Amino acid sequence: MTNITGKTYAMNAITPMKPWKTWLLRTVFFILGHVASLRNDLVNLSFIHFARWVIIPRQGFPHVTEDQPYEQLKYDYLLFFSNFNGTWNQYIDAFSSVLSNGLNQIWRWSEKFPGSVPVTPFKQYIARVQFETDFYYTAYPHAATNDVKAAHRVTDALHDFERQSAAMNPEQFEKAYQSFLVKVQRDLGSTGMAPVGT
Amino acid sequence: MPNQSGSVYGLTLLSPIIGDPHAPVSHDLQLRLILGSMPRDHESPFAKVDSTHMCRLTVMNDVIYVGMPACEEHLQLQYLVFESNFDGDLETYLRRMAQQIPETVDAVWSHCLGYPGVINPDAFVAYMKKCQVTTTFYFADVNDKTVGQTLTALQTQSAVGAFVERNAGVHGAPLQQAFLKLMSDLREAPAPQPGSGREDANLCAVAGAGASSIHE
Repeated sequence: MTNITGKTYAMNAITPMKPWKTWLLRTVFFILGHVASLRNDLVNLSFIHFARWVIIPRQGFPHVTEDQPYEQLKYDYLLFFSNFNGTWNQYIDAFSSVLSNGLNQIWRWSEKFPGSVPVTPFKQYIARVQFETDFYYTAYPHAATNDVKAAHRVTDALHDFERQSAAMNPEQFEKAYQSFLVKVQRDLGSTGMAPVGT
Repeated sequence: MPNQSGSVYGLTLLSPIIGDPHAPVSHDLQLRLILGSMPRDHESPFAKVDSTHMCRLTVMNDVIYVGMPACEEHLQLQYLVFESNFDGDLETYLRRMAQQIPETVDAVWSHCLGYPGVINPDAFVAYMKKCQVTTTFYFADVNDKTVGQTLTALQTQSAVGAFVERNAGVHGAPLQQAFLKLMSDLREAPAPQPGSGREDANLCAVAGAGASSIHE
């Protein structure tokens, strides 16, 4: 499946917006970017490696040569790209149940957005505005974003333990080793292929 | 800076695809054929540009009509979308693309209007910047680690897991010696290859070597 590489799914979506609403959405993003607590749910969900929203004004599509025709559009467009773990259904369900308020603030300015609750019309809308990925690459295909964060915690703890235990005798080392294991035990899960889903 | 989160840069390019009605095979279809056959694992061209965390290439056929009462409208041209998440700054990344994967870049972007080729890196960088659209809001869950640091961390995590399993029930001096061997092996282990998903194999080999010393 071209949208999926390893454990990560590449989603693309594009929605039309009336130009006067674009400025309201820019204000929403400005606030979201400057008030960290508003991003807590997004961070705590912890299944998105990278995501971005891009507003393209109706006259803002790249124009690279003299003979390229200018776009003649009435709407501005909101592009959304996400790199997430899990299946499409899990992603939309989680968005709907955990991030519904935030998502409504972002997409309510798009034409015919039905709201993120209830989830069925929301899924129908996303399916309509989504377009497929032709090529997708990830440097760590077998690692979810939780795996990445766990791996960095283990690495940091290991180097701390190595430093602290350098001058210990075997008995002291064993005791410190047990403490190290207690500290990292929740982060020692192995990575690998993702289960197949839809 | 909206294109950046911590040390990670989020690049979005929209390059207009040549619309030639006389081409025997349309440029968008040629592009899809190329993109569909490009390796996605450690042999992917983007594994060579090893500051790339994740990237995608896709053809955007048109804008999407969401139904009445919205207006139906269409793009004049199709666009090639390049979305990339990488370490460092844009200029360096684009020049690395031109230097390290010139054949791939030429094969893909030669189907786009006004593409100058990588033969002149300055013209190439200027063209790609012309195709860039600014990100309005960018989110990176881990934004302070490079690709290399993450691959090494995954390797370390896997090695530690295997080490713990192999050394259950080992005590005192043999445990300490095995740990020292593990750390030494980790330092000497080859860097994991981007895109391979084989951090586990390397790690287990490392952990196996570390643990074996206590059984000798």
